[in-house]
Amino acid sequence: MSEPRIHSLWALCALGVLPLAAAANESSLDRKVSADASGEVLISNVSGTVDVRGWDRNEVQVTGQLDEDVERVDVESSAGRTVIKVILPRGSNNGGDAMLEIQVPRGSSLDVSAVSADVSSKGVLGTQRLKTVSGEITAEVSGDESEVRSVSGDITVHGGGKPGSLRVSSVSGSLDLTNGAGKLDVVTVSGDARVHMGDSSEITARTTSGEFELHAKLMKDARVSVEGVSGDVTLDLANAAGLALEIESFSGDITGCLAGNVERASKYGPGVRLNSRTGDGSARVRAKTLSGDIEVCDR
Amino acid sequence: MTTRRVKGIGELPRDIPPARDLWPAIAEAIQADLAMRVVPDGRRRVGWWPAVGLAASVALVAVGVFIGQGIAPKPDGRLAGNPAPVTDAGMVKASLRQAEYEKQREQLWTDVQNKLNTMAPAEREKVGASLNTLRRSIQEIETALGRDPANALLQELLVSSCQEEMRALTVVRDSGRQEL
Repeated sequence: MSEPRIHSLWALCALGVLPLAAAANESSLDRKVSADASGEVLISNVSGTVDVRGWDRNEVQVTGQLDEDVERVDVESSAGRTVIKVILPRGSNNGGDAMLEIQVPRGSSLDVSAVSADVSSKGVLGTQRLKTVSGEITAEVSGDESEVRSVSGDITVHGGGKPGSLRVSSVSGSLDLTNGAGKLDVVTVSGDARVHMGDSSEITARTTSGEFELHAKLMKDARVSVEGVSGDVTLDLANAAGLALEIESFSGDITGCLAGNVERASKYGPGVRLNSRTGDGSARVRAKTLSGDIEVCDR
Repeated sequence: MTTRRVKGIGELPRDIPPARDLWPAIAEAIQADLAMRVVPDGRRRVGWWPAVGLAASVALVAVGVFIGQGIAPKPDGRLAGNPAPVTDAGMVKASLRQAEYEKQREQLWTDVQNKLNTMAPAEREKVGASLNTLRRSIQEIETALGRDPANALLQELLVSSCQEEMRALTVVRDSGRQEL
């Protein structure tokens, strides 16, 4: 056999072995346990992904791929509580990736804790508590009470459009919330937040340097309180009955279609404020910043 | 800020009401935090609320000191200046809380720095920048408050920024702990 042909054969063999070598470093997971229709599901993962879907069976199914650095995945269910935990070898510094796809009963409440894993949830109707350090969170929430937290990962939340209570916090990640309703509490440091709320009864937001943009339909007697330091604030608020505005900035501007009566906050010092009312003023809106601009409009 | 010279302590008002009633929001936050800290199996999580509460009380004291510096007569009769020596029992207590707060804050920053060192470079940079933004914003508010000590907006922003700093530091320090 000629030398070039031998080389070609070696190359073909090597190409055939490569996928096998890669597969040898991964293992797959497929576990199923029975669960309550409205039980609690707790999930913990360090790195990789956690992808949760609600389904119409009273079972929790966990499938996925595990890195060789993952020791095992514990899946236990008892007394209405299912715990799924990715176990890394003791003292492991490498975050072995576990890519988990988890099906849970639709009425479950969900508690996911991750470090650098991306987290997503869809079709789960119970309370959700999702948190990650640097992973991204993408969630559909429709439970009565939910909480979504990240340190540096971005957060995308789609609400179910029915009134509930949602708390979202981040340090440097951004937030994009659509179709929320009811009560909302948002805290960011430098991440920007864009929020679209339907019928809202109470909204509180706190940002340091991130921009905060709120589009909301306020219920009668709703309360909105937004506080920023250097981040700009945009309030686009609809309320048929009327708004009572209490807006103030130390060194930023107040603008927008409702900013007709902006006055100086102090005769000698800096600062502007807007105290005004539309209709019966039943929805109260407070917004305050140090140097961020505030734009407020009701259309 | 007043320009009238205060000749005696009797001329100062006994009470200065806050710009708005802060208690309902505080009470609600306490309840919400207590609810969040009780995990289903009955264990309690260590939250950020104690540090935040301490930050709030100390920031309120700091606001009081700013106001005091603005209106207290100095020994030579001029307004404003360094705070008087701590002799009053309430002030001693406040100073102790201030020391406790500074100690906790310093410890938190040290812990957070250690935590940041374990993060990937891009994440470390992003989170570190956010925390520095928070620290700078507090300095900006304090600077503005030094010029306008009685400004209710600045007082409110200082309190909430100090709370937010402690919350964010605690969140970063505790991030990545497995809770299950």
